[in-house]
Amino acid sequence: MKIEIRHLSRIEGHAHLVIDQAQGKLRSCRLEIAETPRFFESLLKGRHFSDVAPIMARICGVCSNAHTLVSLAATEQAFGITISTQTLQLRRLLACGEILQSHILHLYFLAIPDYLGVSSILPLAKTHRDLVTRALRLKQLANSICQAVGGRSVHPVTPCVGGFFVLPQASTLQALRRQLVAALPDLEETVDLFGGLPIPDFDRETEYLCLRPEEGYPLFGDILASSDGVSAKVADYARTIEEYLVPHSTAKFARLSRDSYMVGPLARVKNSFEKLSPMARRVAAAIQLDPATVNPFCNLAARLVEVIHCVEQAIHLIDAVLLPGLRTETLQVTPRAGTGAAAIEAPRGTLFHSYGYDAAGCIESADCIIPTAQNLGNLEADLKAMIPTLLHLPQDQLTLRLEMLVRAYDPCLSCATHLLTVKFV
Amino acid sequence: MDRALAVAEEGSFVATWRGISRAEVEGMVRALAAAFEVAGVQEQRGRLTLDLLDDPADLILEFPPHVHSPKKFLFPNGEKLFRFRLGGRVLLEPEKAAVPRVIFGIHPCDLHAIRVLDDCLFEGEADSAYQSKRGATILVGVDCLPDEHCFCTSMGTDRVASGFDLFLHRMEGGYLMQTGSPRGEALLARHAPLVAARSSEPPLPLQVKQCQTTLPVPVEALAPLLGGVYDHPIWQETGERCLGCGACTLLCPSCYCFSVHDRLDLNLEGGERLRTWDSCQFDQFTKVAGGGAFRADQADRQRHRIFRKFKYLWEKHQRTACVGCGRCRRECLAGIGPTGLLKSLFAERVLPEPRVIPGAEYQPQLAEIVSVTRLTATEKFFRLRLPQPVTFAPGTFMEVSVFGLGEAPLTLASAAGVKGHLELVVRAAGNLTKALHRLRPGDTVGIRGPFGSGFPVEEMSGRDILLVAGGMGLIVLRSLLLTILGRRRDFGRVVLLYGARNVASLLFRDDLLAWHRSGLLDCRFAVHETGGDWPLPRGDVSQLLRDLDLAPQRTVAAVSGPPSMYRSTTPLLLRLGIAEDRIFLNLERHMKCGLGKCGKCQINDICVCQCGPIFPYSRVKHLREAIER
Amino acid sequence: MKPRLGFFDFTGCEGCQLTVLNLEHAFLELLDLVELVEFRELLSERGGPLDIACIEGSIGRTEEIERLREIRVRSKVLVALGACADSGGINALAAFRDPGDLNREVYGRDQPSRRILPPRPLSAYVAVDYRIPGCPIDGREFLSVLQALLVGRPPELPSYSLCVECKLAELPCTFERGIVCLGPVTRAGCDAFCLRGGDRCRGCRGLIDNPRSGPYYRILTENGLSEAEILREFRTFNVPGQEGQ
Repeated sequence: MKIEIRHLSRIEGHAHLVIDQAQGKLRSCRLEIAETPRFFESLLKGRHFSDVAPIMARICGVCSNAHTLVSLAATEQAFGITISTQTLQLRRLLACGEILQSHILHLYFLAIPDYLGVSSILPLAKTHRDLVTRALRLKQLANSICQAVGGRSVHPVTPCVGGFFVLPQASTLQALRRQLVAALPDLEETVDLFGGLPIPDFDRETEYLCLRPEEGYPLFGDILASSDGVSAKVADYARTIEEYLVPHSTAKFARLSRDSYMVGPLARVKNSFEKLSPMARRVAAAIQLDPATVNPFCNLAARLVEVIHCVEQAIHLIDAVLLPGLRTETLQVTPRAGTGAAAIEAPRGTLFHSYGYDAAGCIESADCIIPTAQNLGNLEADLKAMIPTLLHLPQDQLTLRLEMLVRAYDPCLSCATHLLTVKFV
Repeated sequence: MDRALAVAEEGSFVATWRGISRAEVEGMVRALAAAFEVAGVQEQRGRLTLDLLDDPADLILEFPPHVHSPKKFLFPNGEKLFRFRLGGRVLLEPEKAAVPRVIFGIHPCDLHAIRVLDDCLFEGEADSAYQSKRGATILVGVDCLPDEHCFCTSMGTDRVASGFDLFLHRMEGGYLMQTGSPRGEALLARHAPLVAARSSEPPLPLQVKQCQTTLPVPVEALAPLLGGVYDHPIWQETGERCLGCGACTLLCPSCYCFSVHDRLDLNLEGGERLRTWDSCQFDQFTKVAGGGAFRADQADRQRHRIFRKFKYLWEKHQRTACVGCGRCRRECLAGIGPTGLLKSLFAERVLPEPRVIPGAEYQPQLAEIVSVTRLTATEKFFRLRLPQPVTFAPGTFMEVSVFGLGEAPLTLASAAGVKGHLELVVRAAGNLTKALHRLRPGDTVGIRGPFGSGFPVEEMSGRDILLVAGGMGLIVLRSLLLTILGRRRDFGRVVLLYGARNVASLLFRDDLLAWHRSGLLDCRFAVHETGGDWPLPRGDVSQLLRDLDLAPQRTVAAVSGPPSMYRSTTPLLLRLGIAEDRIFLNLERHMKCGLGKCGKCQINDICVCQCGPIFPYSRVKHLREAIER
Repeated sequence: MKPRLGFFDFTGCEGCQLTVLNLEHAFLELLDLVELVEFRELLSERGGPLDIACIEGSIGRTEEIERLREIRVRSKVLVALGACADSGGINALAAFRDPGDLNREVYGRDQPSRRILPPRPLSAYVAVDYRIPGCPIDGREFLSVLQALLVGRPPELPSYSLCVECKLAELPCTFERGIVCLGPVTRAGCDAFCLRGGDRCRGCRGLIDNPRSGPYYRILTENGLSEAEILREFRTFNVPGQEGQ
């Protein structure tokens, strides 16, 4: 019997899941990525540095802020530019806003229908009006952060090489802070709702990777570290992360110490548990998420914890920016020939960009590794391990469980780089 | 406030002057904020802008003209006209009354621009949306810091005597506050009582502003001059540089053309009707249903913009609609601006600087008489050589001087176009014309012009032309006829009906007959007194109209003759079926100055030297003075 | 019965659909007016006839052409959503490169050849009834286009250039700082978003109907741009055959 799920819904981008099983045995299982490759790295060639981040942001609408911020950081690295503390704090705020935006979208719009037995959030608009309006309020709050700092929630415009073209208004940030504080009741209800969901049992331990900044929870950083003890400079990411070809796949896979590893919310929470904000740690304890968790479905719980963390973090960042007062900075950008690499913790995991520039500040080479590409090997391993335990289930339950596992990774297939047809056999 | 009221107030109001410090201005702003929305120029994100003030300390009173004009408050883009509800029945909800507002810091040029808006928006049925905002807004003027694009001194808009409520003149250590209306006086008494109680100071001596940019000709002369450069190649050149972005008109403090849209509510149960700024530079501005556009390219549109500012509105309101603020040039990426354009157009005219030589616009240039030919017992034909070529249309006129005797308007008898020579037909009737008859080749006369607006030759092309001349009226029609014959293929049938006293007084008889015989022209004559060497039917020119075989819908009529002739022929032309706006009448009067000033050529409210002498019948039929007497 | 509305995406970033979702409460109100029957990013349901299909992304593979045609057949009105669908968008950058070369550069020499077509807007393969330009689309413009369709009025896009909105926003012209901007030939409607953000216009909303290419070309050359640089400027968001010069 063959099960084919064409154009998996409630994920970013297109993929088909095809499973072939007979007499309780899995014969084959493949996730086909139905995205047209877009060759962003090649298309950048010759482009002026001022156009690089706006072009790279278009890799993905959902993670456009992360792509923008890491692109700027890589360019600044190449040009030897040190950004001001104010710029760094505002960029962190923007990154927090995007993680919130993406996580809330995932929790309320993509994930919850599976747990409430509906096909989408739309029928809930009638049956669970409170839930839907709360979801919209929270998403709007997250978008307001992105709009205030980046100008727009999708494809920001104000961040530029060296800093910001236009700074947010102090009054806007003050209003934002009030909204963040006022969102606490909504967050409590969110924790109650998602903390009580029946997360499927499925444990499989793997290697977990994220950035390890000098202080705080991972967001930006120069060092990447894994649960298996890998520790390397971001500048050396291309040497540390081994991209390899497997006989059954036409796409490159990535590995560190083992055959596959995981990036994203669960990896971050596990590796940096003690760096979470106090409130986020309390929530984690309440929903029994701890560094020992090895269930990939718990990415959902990790997102919930990160939502709390990001709200708290955003309040602190606004205070840190407003306390000394917003200062307009004169941006001095002098391009030079050289290379630069940078990484950011995007909503779905560690995202790397690296560029080589000529003396005029035009791109000679570019590379980019996105979180979903790193997770694919691990998702494959999870599917392979889980399917045999579920073959006794009726087909609709089986496919639902498989879709839920794919969604737990919140794969972002719009980030088309390095992704082509991935075939699992 | 009603405009009539405002005018009455201005008429009787006597300004007062009091010293006021910067701190007192801020105190006044603070006091005003309780009763009004206060707007002023301030810095926002590193740029100057006119916006509502949060903190009086932010108010900037000395600034170059780099900010949007108060049009943004008085005639806002996206102004809501009314709300409506859908669902079965349309229900209108009128908009609320305008917010009382004070605008601080309006430059003299922008105060002039507000008068232009008043002229245009109060004309006829007043625009009530504008009226309510205008009435609820207190205008506080302030001196400006001109930059390299300003040319207010050439436009006479560098200072202003009225049209504001209060005005702050800069002086050492503060300002001198001038009141401009009873309302301004009352405002001062209420919101700055200490200042109001201060004894009045004498007005400041007028400071002379220096603008680097100037106009090449006096602003008063532009309207008639522009009439002659409609077809100048400069428009094409400008059109080829223009991006059509419309920045010039959007930023213009006196441009007010608009478009109207409906915006629906999200639930589709209602909506609002908005008016948004439009621009004559936009593609869709002149588009009509069916896809036509009557100003199809940027050349036409730029010409229209300049003509409207310096000619059309001038002719209508005798006030310059350009106030010399320089915004259009300052913001134009292609560097197109009125002074540059006008300089290219009129640089060849060695005209004196404005106001440097008073009366310059009345000063003629010298032209040499090349030949003099006797046409009839009373008429002579003159050919003049001009100092520079002049562009004119048939139906326009020149002011011709014989020094010592004076000046008289004479319609041109030669073909239209850019000409170095002019032809005139002069009947010896008065002192001046008799003196002209005494002149010989080689003598010089003074000329000014051309002035007025002539026959719309472009509009006439492609049609059958019916020319109706009576006596001397043929002179103007000769100019038109020569223009037509110069491009004969562009026109259908051309019929000339010519009535005169007798055969001997027929002008250009031989030319007309030659053209008639060669088939260029269908010529028919009528005379009051028969006899002489040529048998012609006796009677009035109107008789010739009786058995005419013209297709009226294809025909344009041009009529020129004594007033009595219009009374008899116009009804006949209408009865033939020729449309009122296709019957053009030559309503020459004594156009003494040619500048729309002297009042001698006025027909009711119309000034012939500016709007005529050639008029479509539809334009003048309601004018009692035009034809009836 | 409420009109049936569907959202679809091809090669793109899904930023336009996300912009629709980001309308938040307006999106919820929208659901009272239409029946949202397909939206892969949000719903599991699919299929059936549609009154309005909003399609994001450009077309780059034969499979996509087939899926697009299938949607066209069952949709009364088809709306191109965003720059990729409307003018090729950012994907247009690839229109000037050989797909085989790109493949080798990004995926390595040993990759099997792939059936990849040069990226094209929807209109290259099916009839597009209306379009909402921009990268991403402007949420307000999306709502007004949808409203127009719901009340039976053909939606209209601004026919004037971005300079209008830039001037109304009282922004200084980027050319004053020597920075090239595509505003003078780009369709307005975004309220000069990037210029308000301190950036320049890269033309994501496509050219106006009647771009004054001659005068604009003159201004670009006066600003020292070579022919190749001018073409590169235009090609960021627009496929060939659309640029003014």
